[in-house]
Amino acid sequence: MNRFTRPLVATLAVSSLLAVSACAAAEPAGRDDNAETTITFSSYSYGTQGAAGDGMQTLLDAFSAAHPEITVLPEAVPVADALTKTKAAVAAGSPPDVQQLGYSKMAEAFATLPVQSIEEIAGDEWDAHVEGIAPGLVRTGENDGTVKALPFTVSIPTVFYNADIFREAGLDPENPPTSIDEVSEAAEAITATGHNGVYFGLLDQGKSDYLTQSVMDSAGGQTVDDDGTVALDSAKAVAGIQKIQDLTTEGLQPAVGIDDAIAAFSTGDLGMFVSTTALMSNLQAGATDKFELRTAGFPSFDSKDARPTHSGAGLVVLAADEAKQKAAWEFVKFMTSEEGYTMITEEMGYLPLRANLATDEAFLAGYFAENTLLLPPLEQLQNVTPYRSFAGAKSNQATVMLQDDAISPIILRGADTQQTLTEVADRIRELVESE
Amino acid sequence: MTLLTGPSRGVRQGAPRRVSSALRPWLYLSPLLLALGVWIYGPALFTLGLSVLDWNLTTPPTGFVGADNFARLFRSADFWQALGQTLLYAVALLPFSTVVPLLLAIMLWQRPGRASTVYRSLLFLPVMMAPVAVAVSWKFMLNPLLGLANEVVGWFGIPPVNWLGDPSTALLVIVAVTAAKVTAFNMLLYSAALSGLDRRTIEAARLEGASSWEITRFVVAPQLVGTTVLLGTLSLVLAGQWVFTNVTVLTQGGPDGVTDNIYYRIYTLGFEFFETGTASAAAVIVLLVFAVAGIGWRLVRRSHVPR
Repeated sequence: MNRFTRPLVATLAVSSLLAVSACAAAEPAGRDDNAETTITFSSYSYGTQGAAGDGMQTLLDAFSAAHPEITVLPEAVPVADALTKTKAAVAAGSPPDVQQLGYSKMAEAFATLPVQSIEEIAGDEWDAHVEGIAPGLVRTGENDGTVKALPFTVSIPTVFYNADIFREAGLDPENPPTSIDEVSEAAEAITATGHNGVYFGLLDQGKSDYLTQSVMDSAGGQTVDDDGTVALDSAKAVAGIQKIQDLTTEGLQPAVGIDDAIAAFSTGDLGMFVSTTALMSNLQAGATDKFELRTAGFPSFDSKDARPTHSGAGLVVLAADEAKQKAAWEFVKFMTSEEGYTMITEEMGYLPLRANLATDEAFLAGYFAENTLLLPPLEQLQNVTPYRSFAGAKSNQATVMLQDDAISPIILRGADTQQTLTEVADRIRELVESE
Repeated sequence: MTLLTGPSRGVRQGAPRRVSSALRPWLYLSPLLLALGVWIYGPALFTLGLSVLDWNLTTPPTGFVGADNFARLFRSADFWQALGQTLLYAVALLPFSTVVPLLLAIMLWQRPGRASTVYRSLLFLPVMMAPVAVAVSWKFMLNPLLGLANEVVGWFGIPPVNWLGDPSTALLVIVAVTAAKVTAFNMLLYSAALSGLDRRTIEAARLEGASSWEITRFVVAPQLVGTTVLLGTLSLVLAGQWVFTNVTVLTQGGPDGVTDNIYYRIYTLGFEFFETGTASAAAVIVLLVFAVAGIGWRLVRRSHVPR
């Protein structure tokens, strides 16, 4: 370093220090005493194409207008990665403050993530706020005796059907099938016209087993029984899944993934599509000017009442900081309020989770008068079975194992139903018990 | 001059110079050694440590579990299937890493000109395209109900095929989609090797009356053995990693695990199920397999070298 560069470097170093000091000093001075709180919100609906993404933006805008003192920074995350991304974020020390989390991931989230008790954060406001929300859905978010998740975007399985294909097949669109046997008969008539008959979307995009549970529950079985024991290989559960496999082996259901089935239904090449009401808006958009889209309730199995299991997501709070927790509660409170649930139904197509909304003129009565597609699932909302998770920190892995290693080979590739479910049930028991 | 560099003065300057000359190579090497330590050997040791812990990454490790993670992997049919599929990928992609690009490169090299340049550019195109975008495009084309692929096979009276959902075709599809890129890239490397050939040997063979095939077989091919060994070795070692993107986008290891491989399995264990200990144990096993294979290869080569 020569005699010219040495003073130059020294000057630069001192200038840098001064600049850093100035910045550090300037920040507190620039802050308002009523500083707004910023929270991050991880959502799998945010940023998506279609009604879910647009609706979420509407909700965020409405919250922003109602609470200018709170800034929400939304982060988009693919539905299947919602849990894994947050785990990685927690490991990196920067979890989102609030998260939209699917019910199939909830048990593992409670066991492995720093999920806060919303009930405790809400304090005195809790009882008044949850009054009117479907109680079963609030209980689904309980863990360790306190509620950690409030229902947010909840849907149930329903039968979407193409009324034009029904007419072409000689079926009456006014009287859609109500049982699995009637679904099978209708599918047979539809395939005779050259279309694909029916598709049960058990192989969910988000690797949730809500439709597997719906089938097993409706057939009188369960994936997990009341005391938490794995029961997916019971005779009744097997019988339910066998009915779905029969549709494939009889050529009434295409042996394809759910994305392919959605594409086929949207192009008018599939007669019936059994999936979540969350797809309502997208299917409506796809059917516009192509065919008449209708819905029917989830079918019953073997003379038993249909017992659909809900899917969808709750809101959980991960914020550790007290100020952020308060802001997070305001956000959750708004999203699950009468106004929030109304927007969720109107804009995103999810079911209203407060009983009074559907008939209240101030909220959704007008909407349901014009939008009849949600009425059949709304009627079944009373019979909804709460989503059941496998126990513990590996519940998501167990669910993926059920879906990938049992349901997929049984439904798509003709694997022996009883043998496959028994083998996978044993592996899940070993996995769950290994903790 | 002699007076100025007397003994006492020489001793005082010699010691630091010796130290400096001993340190100098290490100073030159230090950036690389530091990078290797931080990015390769450090994480490898860390992985080794994690392989004996039960840790889900988000809560503190629950404790030392010894060889439990390894034992669980050895008991797991999925793990053995993934290892077997990795080997299958290596074997299936080997000709697309060596023979096919070699033939393409020689054909283009033998016919220099504008057409050759155009063909080379077209063949190289898959390398330039974003891997995920390519995989998603294939997903659309292979849609069993509405995809272009079934439309095309339908022209020949073949019934629709569930390309990615049928275990008998899914692996072939992943290999084919990956092979397009591997072949294109290796063709470029062979072209580079061909441009560096000793032209005098080719001219000499031509003067001796050798045919085009004889020149290719006995003059050109032997000079490309080094490149072929390199590309073949890289293929055997890296084939499982090359298919990763296509497996992730197109099949997620299914159907029935036929498109799975050990790298995707490690990713799934580590970053979907957050079984960090088990994923680390699988990574350690992969490292050991390669180490044993490498040592075995060296021993075989040594036994064949004439003393």
